[in-house]
Amino acid sequence: MDIFTQAEILLRDAQYETWTWTGSTGPVTCFENAALMGFIHVFSTADDLLSTWKESQQVVLARHAASLRGAGAKAWNVYSVFLTPDQDMGRGREIERIEEDFSLTRKIAKASIITAEDVERSLLPLLPIRSKPLLGASNFETRLRIRLKDISPDAVTAFLKEATPAEVARILGATS
Amino acid sequence: MRLDFIEVCGFRGFRDLARINFGRGFTVITGRNGVGKSTLCDAVEFAIIGSIGKYAVEKAAKESLSDYLWWRGEGVPKAHYVTVSFVDDNGKPFAITRRRESGADRSADEIHAALCRGAAPDDALRQLTRTSIIRDEWIAALSLDLTETERFDLVRSALGALEGSEAGNKAKEVVTAAEAAHSKGEAAYEAALSRLSDRLTQQSETQAALSRSGDVSFALQVVGAAVPDAPPELTARLTAGRNELANGRARVARLGEAFQLSLDVTAVQAAYSDPITAANRKAASAAHEAAQSEHQAAQQAVSEAEQCLAREEEMDAIATSLSLLVEHGERLGLHDNHCPLCAASRTSDEFAAGLDAARRRITSLASGVQAARAALATAKENARQSSLTLKAAAAAAQTHADELRRLREQEAAQVEFYNQWGIEHRFIQDPDGLEQAISLERNRLIDLERALLVLEASQAVSRMSSIESNISALRAEIEKLARAVSQSQNAVTAAREIERSIRRVSGEIIDERLAQISPLLNELYQRLRPHPEWRTIDYTIRGDVRRFLSLKVGDGLNPQFIFSSGQRRAAGLAFLLSVHLARAWTPLRSLLLDDPVQHIDDFRALHLVEVLAALRADGRQIICAVEDTALADLLCRRLISTATEGGRRIDIALGPLGATSVVTEQEIHPLPVGVLRGAATA
Repeated sequence: MDIFTQAEILLRDAQYETWTWTGSTGPVTCFENAALMGFIHVFSTADDLLSTWKESQQVVLARHAASLRGAGAKAWNVYSVFLTPDQDMGRGREIERIEEDFSLTRKIAKASIITAEDVERSLLPLLPIRSKPLLGASNFETRLRIRLKDISPDAVTAFLKEATPAEVARILGATS
Repeated sequence: MRLDFIEVCGFRGFRDLARINFGRGFTVITGRNGVGKSTLCDAVEFAIIGSIGKYAVEKAAKESLSDYLWWRGEGVPKAHYVTVSFVDDNGKPFAITRRRESGADRSADEIHAALCRGAAPDDALRQLTRTSIIRDEWIAALSLDLTETERFDLVRSALGALEGSEAGNKAKEVVTAAEAAHSKGEAAYEAALSRLSDRLTQQSETQAALSRSGDVSFALQVVGAAVPDAPPELTARLTAGRNELANGRARVARLGEAFQLSLDVTAVQAAYSDPITAANRKAASAAHEAAQSEHQAAQQAVSEAEQCLAREEEMDAIATSLSLLVEHGERLGLHDNHCPLCAASRTSDEFAAGLDAARRRITSLASGVQAARAALATAKENARQSSLTLKAAAAAAQTHADELRRLREQEAAQVEFYNQWGIEHRFIQDPDGLEQAISLERNRLIDLERALLVLEASQAVSRMSSIESNISALRAEIEKLARAVSQSQNAVTAAREIERSIRRVSGEIIDERLAQISPLLNELYQRLRPHPEWRTIDYTIRGDVRRFLSLKVGDGLNPQFIFSSGQRRAAGLAFLLSVHLARAWTPLRSLLLDDPVQHIDDFRALHLVEVLAALRADGRQIICAVEDTALADLLCRRLISTATEGGRRIDIALGPLGATSVVTEQEIHPLPVGVLRGAATA
């Protein structure tokens, strides 16, 4: 699974424009939509991420400084995303603490990015709500009819329509 | 459908007219504590449902929230009202105005029709405000702190799974109706059984009566003799015979009384006629007569003694006068040899002898008075003794007279009793004959009663066939009723099956829907990240009749007890937002948050802003009141403002008189696009 590719798929689905820029620290995926913009950095190891994330961020920001200066309030909505597939659990917590550094950009830092789901989970702050429960018609009546197959259909119909409870009880008595 | 504006005047902290125009995309409201940010949420809730639910305690110190709904500070508002206006996707407005004086200008049904659709839950408008307005004080209370049943009900209401609820209520009514019909059928069945039991008892008794039946013709003769004038029909004869039997018994009772009277009178007569008593009576009578004679003689003696005494006393008076005359003559002495008293010629001797003779005479006249008095006293004593004797003799004679009188009275009463009840007088002097007559009458009545029993038994034959046919009909009826009871029992069973099936189907639907929203809850939980370790949250549902919804993190841990205050609020927000998003029964796409970031650290506040931005990106209208201006800035930057769904920022503050007013209103324009590529356009 290529993290860059997977990230771009997700971001484009979410109406972001994405592209790749390659600087001295390697390739970076840039993204932007109506409210946000940012850069995705991928590191091969957790150590690499922890030791070079600041430099990588600095390089990218410096390259886009002019644009950001002209962005007005949007310049506050810049995300730096630091991801690594490295599953070093000990370092994973250390990596996540990068997110609590509020200087320059809002940061997303995750280790153990192995699957597409991992990429999606890490980019959730950038994405619209993913889960959209489809609470369609419950087909209550149909399901109830199937469940009540041993009861007279006339009685069930009377029950589900406008018949009074007394009338339904009468039909149940007459048909059972 | 989203909020367009609210207008308040004289409502809670807003004395003067204030109008808040909401951005179609979002509105961020800022202000310090107590300036009335929450009042704007209150106004929306009040306009929709006519009350404010966040005050759990309705009354405090005899005051309720209704006492504080309207302005109570200095100055007088020009009016007291709240208007909330919504606008649908086609730009069609729907406004509700609630005035202090006249209430709402829209009915609850109108509001319901505008803000709800499809299978809305019970008390839908309250559910709508409850799930649309997320208040600081309710974030934990309405999520983690709810009981598991309350939490289940909240989610079920939010899901709008109503068909099951309505059908469940109707099924309960059907069960009740079926049970009532069954009870009625059972009562009819029991009553028929009871009637059959009575008839069977009657049948046995009739059978026994039949077994006692004897010679009917002889019985007819007996009854005929007893009631010769009775009609020929058997029933009439029986009735007449029964009457005659009753009359005969009464007659025998009266004859018995007459017999007793005769015995009493005879006993008294015998006692009166007893020889010793007669001799005593005769002796008493003779004694009485003797006493009377003696008494009369004594009275006569007294009378005579009194007359004698009167004479003696008269003589005594004459003697006294004579004595005076003699003494006067003696004093005068002879006057010329003539008596001075009678002028007769007397010598001194004759005169002296005449005086002595006069004195002897006087002495003789005076000497009888004492004797006469003594004789009278003796006569009176004799008369008193004879009077006492007479009284005693009279009393003895009266006693015997009274006995006779009583005897006569008894005899008269006896005659009267005989006359009254038509009893032959010959029995007055013949108690034995009366006793024999009574015995004969009693025998006759026994014969009559036996005859009547025989005839009644013969009637029982015809009654038997009637009873048997009645029993047969009753058995058929019982059979029919038993079938009906069986059917009604089946109806109850079927009704209960319907009720059970509804509960299960609706429970399954809710379970399925909860399963459907579970990823949403988890996603929101993951986005808000309340806890660094427990990254996912799960729910479990249990219970059949009462349903419980538990939230669990990690290895089945209850976040209510292991999360910090801020973490609980973050987890609660995830829950409430998932409930809000799961509603399919309202077109309203507005989410109001009243200071949702209290007790939440900056890092998690940022997560919340990102979640709100995601909701905003999904087309929802976000209205968020916050105290922190930096947070307001962040919200205004992060929530997407577009040309058609713009954002607004509103600052409110207290005026000099303590009334709230809008200080600034600012449109939040869309941010530039294409920044990073160097082709930024606003």
